[in-house]
Amino acid sequence: MSETRSEENRDGAQVGGKPSVKGSLPLEDVGRLVDLLRESGVGEIRVRQGELEISVKAKPEAPAPQQAPGVGAASQEEPAPQPEPPAGANGLHAVRSPLVGTFYRAPAPGEEPYVEVGDTVKAGQPICIVEAMKLMNEIPADISGEVVEILADNAGGVEYDQPLFRLRPE
Amino acid sequence: MIGKVLVANRGEIALRVIRACRELGIRSVAVYSTADSDSLHRMLADEAVCIGPPPASGSYLNIPAIISAAELTGADAIHPGYGFLAENARFAEICERVGVKFVGPSSRVISMMGDKSAARRAAREAGVPVTPGSDGVCENAAEAKRVGAEVGYPVVVKASAGGGGKGMRVVESEPELNAAFTEASREAGAAFGDGSVYIEKYLRDLRHVEVQVLSEAGGKTAAFPERDCSIQRRYQKLLEESPAPALPEEARTGMMDAASSLVDALGYEGAGTVEFVYSDGEFYFIEMNTRLQVEHPVTEMVTGTDLVAEQLRIASGEGMGVKSGGSSPDGHAIEFRINAEDPRRNFLPQAGPVEFYNPPGGPGVRVDSHLYAGYKVPPHYDSLLAKLIVFATDRQTAIRRGLRALDEFAVAGVETTLPLHLAILEDEDFRRGGVSTSFLAQRELRDDDGFLRFIPVSASE
Repeated sequence: MSETRSEENRDGAQVGGKPSVKGSLPLEDVGRLVDLLRESGVGEIRVRQGELEISVKAKPEAPAPQQAPGVGAASQEEPAPQPEPPAGANGLHAVRSPLVGTFYRAPAPGEEPYVEVGDTVKAGQPICIVEAMKLMNEIPADISGEVVEILADNAGGVEYDQPLFRLRPE
Repeated sequence: MIGKVLVANRGEIALRVIRACRELGIRSVAVYSTADSDSLHRMLADEAVCIGPPPASGSYLNIPAIISAAELTGADAIHPGYGFLAENARFAEICERVGVKFVGPSSRVISMMGDKSAARRAAREAGVPVTPGSDGVCENAAEAKRVGAEVGYPVVVKASAGGGGKGMRVVESEPELNAAFTEASREAGAAFGDGSVYIEKYLRDLRHVEVQVLSEAGGKTAAFPERDCSIQRRYQKLLEESPAPALPEEARTGMMDAASSLVDALGYEGAGTVEFVYSDGEFYFIEMNTRLQVEHPVTEMVTGTDLVAEQLRIASGEGMGVKSGGSSPDGHAIEFRINAEDPRRNFLPQAGPVEFYNPPGGPGVRVDSHLYAGYKVPPHYDSLLAKLIVFATDRQTAIRRGLRALDEFAVAGVETTLPLHLAILEDEDFRRGGVSTSFLAQRELRDDDGFLRFIPVSASE
């Protein structure tokens, strides 16, 4: 799972007490970091801007997200436009569709599905196909873990950013 | 009739199309980016599909995502609105190939009119007056000099693939031509990936006057009363009106006839706009926009035509509900573009929450907008927030109505161009009518006790 954490500057100076953070580093930027983290598959991304440092970590073992007060307050003002509860609320991670298209659980009609509930998958392993304009796009798991739930219907339409699977991080 | 239309756009124009669909009994599909999940077009359409991330390149310009959304929802037509993919010939061609009706002309016509020198040639062949200048693309500076000597200075060097003033240079005399030619060509190459340029006579004190057309491609063609769009800032229109004030009748009918001939020669389908420059009784073709335009409501108000409904009727193959030929305006309409830009801070774009929103009402007032109190203006897209259109029996009454409605219009949270429009309506030259496209460049904005007013810039300009 991914989580965002705003860290004080390294000496522990307060960030939360500075609501002006909103102007200098909007939440969307943090969101973009999370996306980048997911897409790149690296473990952590850190960005420093002035006194503020943002670190985004893929941390599957974390039981619950931690948020600095500054970011927590900002996120109330700007609810993330996600239909799903944020990953991590129950320790589960959602694999989201990177494009609009038709969702297929198997590589070809009549073949076995890529994964079933209860299977363990490795990060990078294909777990479904989203077809757009006759192109079959294999969608890999973005983390390693156990498939807990399959959220989309086979051969049904999926939107950009729609959760497809829920994984329990390894 | 078409059964379901996917609206490949956002903001007020997506709402405009959804409203027309609803009135015609057509189902509508909105597409939206993750930055627009709280947008009205998503909420008011019958169905909505999230097609991508906030940057337009991943969403509203993402052809595979939009085509997939059309396939998933079973839409039989796509209305592109304006901007984004509206004049993208490749998109129109893909729609043609996958069997989804593109609401607009064929990809062939879009591509021809998108190439400015090809468009000029087509206009000339259709007998439409074009600005004196080079016959298509100018290969080199020597050829440019020959054209300059022929049509007389000043001339303007323009990018063939251009628009918005990029790759454009005004040349006052021959010695400046070499450098201007090279610069314009380089700029055009960088901006559009195509460095070809052409030369035109440069006209001073010109007005921008355009003619709305509707055509059935080989069937009926209608030309509507002209719109005057001379109030511009950096080639962006800010205020449009119909009819054009103080325009001789023969210029008006001449432009409508010219627009009709071009459209017939092209085998044009749907709504489009033929743009002219007008100067001293003469008019010349500039370009044709092969789509619905932002300012289409002024034409709707003075003719009682629903242009979007007509687009959908034509796309359905039902034929348009308007008679062929020209028509005359009934009354006067003015449109004000309310943009999220701060006129007191050099038109700095604004984004963020709209805290309070109360559009004007009453007789002769129309507001096309996607705003609501609590809406957040995303930073990713066009700054147009609302279009205020006022309509009255004559221009003076329309101006007074405009002042009244602009004054009533309340938007809090983001700065807008509302005070700029009040300043324009208070301007004596504007009130007299027939100002040129340099109207705003010749004036400076001053804050006068909270109100914006114009003061003239140095007389030399």
